[in-house]
Amino acid sequence: MPVDFELTKEQEDVKATVREFAEKYIAPRAIEFEEKQMIPPEITREMGRLGLFGVTYPEEYGGLGLDPVTAGLILEEIVRADLTFSLAVAYLVPASWGYVACKYGSEEFRDDIIRKAAGGDLWIGIATTEPGAGSDLAGISTTARRDGDSYVVSGEKAYISGVREAREKGVWFELGGGHVTLAYTDKSKLHRGMSLFFVPLTDPGISVRLEKEFGRKGWSYGSFVLDNVKVPGKYRIGEEGRGFYIAMEGFDHARAYIALACAVGGKRAIELAAEYAKQRRAFGEPIATFQGVQFQLADNWARLEAAHSLAYRALWALKMEQEGRLGRYEVTKIAASAKLFAVQTAKAAIDDALRWFGAYGYTEENPVALAMKAVKSYDWAEGSLDIMRLIVAREVLGREYIARRR
Amino acid sequence: MPVNVVVLMKPVVDPKAIVNFRPDGTIDRSAVKLVVNPYDKYAIEAAVQLKEKLGGKVVGIAMAPLHAVDSLREALAIGVDEFILLSDLKLAGSDTLATSYALSAAIRKIWQKLGSLDLILCGIESSDSNTGHIGPEVGEWLGLPSVSYVDSILEVRDGSVLVKRLIEGGYVVMKVKLPAVLSIAGTSYQPRIPALREVLAARRKQITVWNTAEVGIDQSLVGLAGSPTRVVRMWRIEIKRRGKIFSDPDVDKMLEKFLEEIRRDGISLGVRS
Repeated sequence: MPVDFELTKEQEDVKATVREFAEKYIAPRAIEFEEKQMIPPEITREMGRLGLFGVTYPEEYGGLGLDPVTAGLILEEIVRADLTFSLAVAYLVPASWGYVACKYGSEEFRDDIIRKAAGGDLWIGIATTEPGAGSDLAGISTTARRDGDSYVVSGEKAYISGVREAREKGVWFELGGGHVTLAYTDKSKLHRGMSLFFVPLTDPGISVRLEKEFGRKGWSYGSFVLDNVKVPGKYRIGEEGRGFYIAMEGFDHARAYIALACAVGGKRAIELAAEYAKQRRAFGEPIATFQGVQFQLADNWARLEAAHSLAYRALWALKMEQEGRLGRYEVTKIAASAKLFAVQTAKAAIDDALRWFGAYGYTEENPVALAMKAVKSYDWAEGSLDIMRLIVAREVLGREYIARRR
Repeated sequence: MPVNVVVLMKPVVDPKAIVNFRPDGTIDRSAVKLVVNPYDKYAIEAAVQLKEKLGGKVVGIAMAPLHAVDSLREALAIGVDEFILLSDLKLAGSDTLATSYALSAAIRKIWQKLGSLDLILCGIESSDSNTGHIGPEVGEWLGLPSVSYVDSILEVRDGSVLVKRLIEGGYVVMKVKLPAVLSIAGTSYQPRIPALREVLAARRKQITVWNTAEVGIDQSLVGLAGSPTRVVRMWRIEIKRRGKIFSDPDVDKMLEKFLEEIRRDGISLGVRS
């Protein structure tokens, strides 16, 4: 009986603890995240104390050593309480990229950075996108030049989450934070010439600019410019030339978590809208009585259930990979499928759910409206939907059908 | 000075769970999740804060069926050092008198093991039976002073404890000789949410189970036989109350209508200064 959806006692305990925290501290203030365009620092501090910024890191580096499925159970509770997805971003980015950085990083990096991140003193973000390159990562222009024991990094990263939280020390995180940053160490080799570095955003040589986000406003979004910034060699993540491939692994983690966040956010949106539909009366009856609402609800719910299960399958696949029981390509295929399906499913569900609210849906006080803006970000964040399609097609058809680079 | 504290806990039906009733009116406990009585969580928090401030040991104790053991892990995660589950079929059906007797016997044994005991803390009542008996009764069985409705423990010094006790409209500060039993009211001790590391570690900790023989409990004083209280019948209360809206653009007229109505129901309004 290997297929089993039952949770272990540890998972139940973890879920119950995070639910209590989320209901008590997150849910009552989630609307405020969007309004004030920031997470109250006491929330990130408390999350740090609970250990929520190091769930996937190995115990020997201060993390909880939880597998991706259990990390997903925590994400569910966070999303249910905060449909702006601001905290979902704050949580899932380190759970994915911090984990991969720890896996490939040097021993000094783990001792220096991972340990602090696990303790909630430092946030780990991801920076691949640039003003001139997103889906086509080979088009990046950031470079890292070796200089003795260090690298000198120059370039610009754009539309990056958490730049403010990583830049400002002593607010959300005692030591600020930094981003896992993709740069060319040898541009002539294209994908094989890229490397990853952990770049502390507190470095005075970095200038940060904030964007006005469309949604998810609680967690900052912006760009940073590296002007000959010296990064210690010990902060290189993995071998030179392996950056692109390591990044692909990080994307798999992030996509599985995003798929889960979208499925859960979509379900929560339907739940909230259903509550409203039971209260709201039109033509003498609660609108929940109308089959026009019921059929939409049922179709969306069934699809969301499917997205939810697929997301956990992707997280399970990551766990299997960690145990050496599933190959990279298979994991990539499931993670991309999960994101592709969950984002579209959640968007459609939230669109319907929002309609049941009538005019009240079209306000910034309605969490479902905020969820709509949040989920929209995943049309591109951590890999656009079209890139997901290319990945799934490539893995099903075979790699000889990859379109040639023009 | 380090203080040794025993905290009494009761596993109760999760107040947030949907409860089903059997045809005879009793709760179907087989399917419901048990949690630590929410009122006891304030007592746990108070005990752990004392330990953090003064040192010493916190021992938790609950009297419950074996399957309740999972609900007690949370206390271990919050900082209770050791947990005793007093469990025996012979205890089934015990009322508050029998329960407080059994708990007192177990506390004596813990006391002996620890060498010294300073405080026994519990919640002011349980969320499922709300008697509030256990704390004071344990005090009686052990011959110790007990204070109920304790808002906060101000100081532990020179063999006594200074507590702030809630009374209607205010509070009194009392000095009580140790050891003492305190029922903690949930105002000053907001229970913390344990760090996940502690939650995971609690799962690996041992909970010691004692039966009545090990504790030396007189079996004629526990269970149904030892319980003077009998639950004769349980029934569901259907709440048929309905809200009534009084509306009138003129506020005075609206109030007049409201007053008229409640006077008709025989309710008189007192003025409190």
